[in-house]
Amino acid sequence: MARNVRRGSGRLVRVIALALVCALAALPSFAGVAQVKLKLPLKPRLPLRGNERIALAPFVIATEAEKARDKRLQNVDLQAEFQRFLKKQIEKKTKLEIVSVPPELKLPTQNLSELGRSTEFWRALGAQTGAEILVSGSLEFRVEDRSGYKTEEYVSPIDSRTYYRQVYVEQTGFLFDIVFLVFDGRSGEKILQDEFKDFRQTGGRRADELQGLFENLFSLENQILNLFVARDRDAERYLFTD
Amino acid sequence: MKKAALVLGAALVAAGCSSYARTEKAQTQISFGSVVARRGLWREAAFRFEKAIEKEPNNARAHNNLAVALEAGGEFAKALAEYKRALELDPNDTYIRRNYARFAEFYTSYTRTTGKATGGS
Repeated sequence: MARNVRRGSGRLVRVIALALVCALAALPSFAGVAQVKLKLPLKPRLPLRGNERIALAPFVIATEAEKARDKRLQNVDLQAEFQRFLKKQIEKKTKLEIVSVPPELKLPTQNLSELGRSTEFWRALGAQTGAEILVSGSLEFRVEDRSGYKTEEYVSPIDSRTYYRQVYVEQTGFLFDIVFLVFDGRSGEKILQDEFKDFRQTGGRRADELQGLFENLFSLENQILNLFVARDRDAERYLFTD
Repeated sequence: MKKAALVLGAALVAAGCSSYARTEKAQTQISFGSVVARRGLWREAAFRFEKAIEKEPNNARAHNNLAVALEAGGEFAKALAEYKRALELDPNDTYIRRNYARFAEFYTSYTRTTGKATGGS
């Protein structure tokens, strides 16, 4: 009996060894492709030295008129929240020096194209604050009720067949759209205009607006900072292994 | 048990010998290059892929791998030329096509920020 067991285990070892030999022999013939991760640099969108003085002017709030109608927008001070977010990110992740703008500063127009052409206004603000770079633009934040009926697939436990049914799904969407206008503080000329958009959808009809806003902002963080400083971007590529 | 160990040892020696015999082949250089690349040694990998191209100038896989290694090293203009060459040699390879498409997307935005092609050439 003991001899049989020993013979059996010996056979098992031989089988494993043979399998290993086969695997080793087969190694070079595996048509291989491996996925590798690269960190690619993203150059800053603005040609800066990196230590310029920057002033954050107010942004045009595109949804200001809707505030009176939409209660959920009333809970969010978009201007203050965004300025705070931008200031914090610039201070933390760049070497730019933030200079403050007069608290009573009013934009000459609420029209974005006109704002981009208000060279005199920006030159005067640059001279007043000593900022080499001036940032402004427009902000749009919308909370959308995306609840509604959606078609869902389900397999019946009775006859195991697939059926389609309409289900009511409660969802809230948060849309955030920023247009950045960057001006030269000395000449007042617009040096860059760029737009970033983000849309987030969460379950539930009564999702928190402020939380939604910051979800949008954090997802745009890399792109926003890339205006001023170099950032990394993860990328995947295929590499042939033989 | 001893027999199994002997068989395994012989197999390892045989595998080693076979790879030694092929060190001059482009395939061996690609294989070794891909191993070091996955460990993040991109310069060594690029050197290996260049060697493979020396052996087989029309090897699309070697050109693709060299392009990836150059891209990892920030030499984007050279990487672009290698991706193009790889695609020219094997226009139907899915992996080369995907790599080229992804690189092209990145490279377009990269050059858009500087207004000119930069990086390594």
